[in-house]
Amino acid sequence: MTRLAGQCHCGAVQASIEGIAAAELSLRACQCGFCRRHGAMSTSHPQARITIAAGEGALNRYRFGQKLSDFLICANCGSYVGSLAETDIGPIAILNVRGVDLPGFEGRAAEPMTYDGETPEARTERRKARWSPAELTAQPSRA
Amino acid sequence: MSEAFAWRAGGCHCGGVRFEVALPSRVEAQSCNCSMCAKTGFVHVIVPESRFRLTKGADRLAEYTFNTRVAKHLFCSECGIKSFYRPRSNPDGWSVNARCLDEVEGLEIVIEAFDGQNWEANGASLAHLSREHA
Repeated sequence: MTRLAGQCHCGAVQASIEGIAAAELSLRACQCGFCRRHGAMSTSHPQARITIAAGEGALNRYRFGQKLSDFLICANCGSYVGSLAETDIGPIAILNVRGVDLPGFEGRAAEPMTYDGETPEARTERRKARWSPAELTAQPSRA
Repeated sequence: MSEAFAWRAGGCHCGGVRFEVALPSRVEAQSCNCSMCAKTGFVHVIVPESRFRLTKGADRLAEYTFNTRVAKHLFCSECGIKSFYRPRSNPDGWSVNARCLDEVEGLEIVIEAFDGQNWEANGASLAHLSREHA
């Protein structure tokens, strides 16, 4: 099974996406003020599974705008790991390929995305169709 | 200070950290490939001490260091944005993140690749950027 794994700079937070090969995963550069400042490059796929492993207190959760998802920041090194939303189909997430140095995307340009003007309902539906089912765990992931 | 510089404001995403930096109309910026910069996407605009001022949020900054611990990586403890920091190449100056400037109109930013993976061979090439001009 295809599995791409990475971690934040200090290693306190580990992340992986499993089930879809890197070549089949999209790479998106959201143009909002938060993602631009982080230089974020996001990936996810509805048929892939994202796991984020972080010990207690290792993640800061930041919310802004419509406050529909948590943006996960390593409390120690400041790396932006990804975003996690609770929905009626369960928790879903994206990973910041840059922030956790996810392998398999080398040389690819991220596609600029803008989501301005989306209603909260439309945003959640888009994310449910595109983001990955996710688990946030305190257990270290497999190496 | 020379009239060729204009103060420009910037900051993190949540607004907790704000800074001002004095820049000419054309600046060289570095995009670095080291393990830290690759993870933050930091675009370096390095200036001398006198051309940077923190205007808000000193108490919001979290500091992260590693390896030689000379560089002081500073990020907003609320939104995680690293809008400026004290770089190892220029511990007498500041490196501002071009991604965090409010307004870039009238500012030409020329981004060059910097090979920070081979820092020992290349770090000294940036030293002049934080030198105070007479």
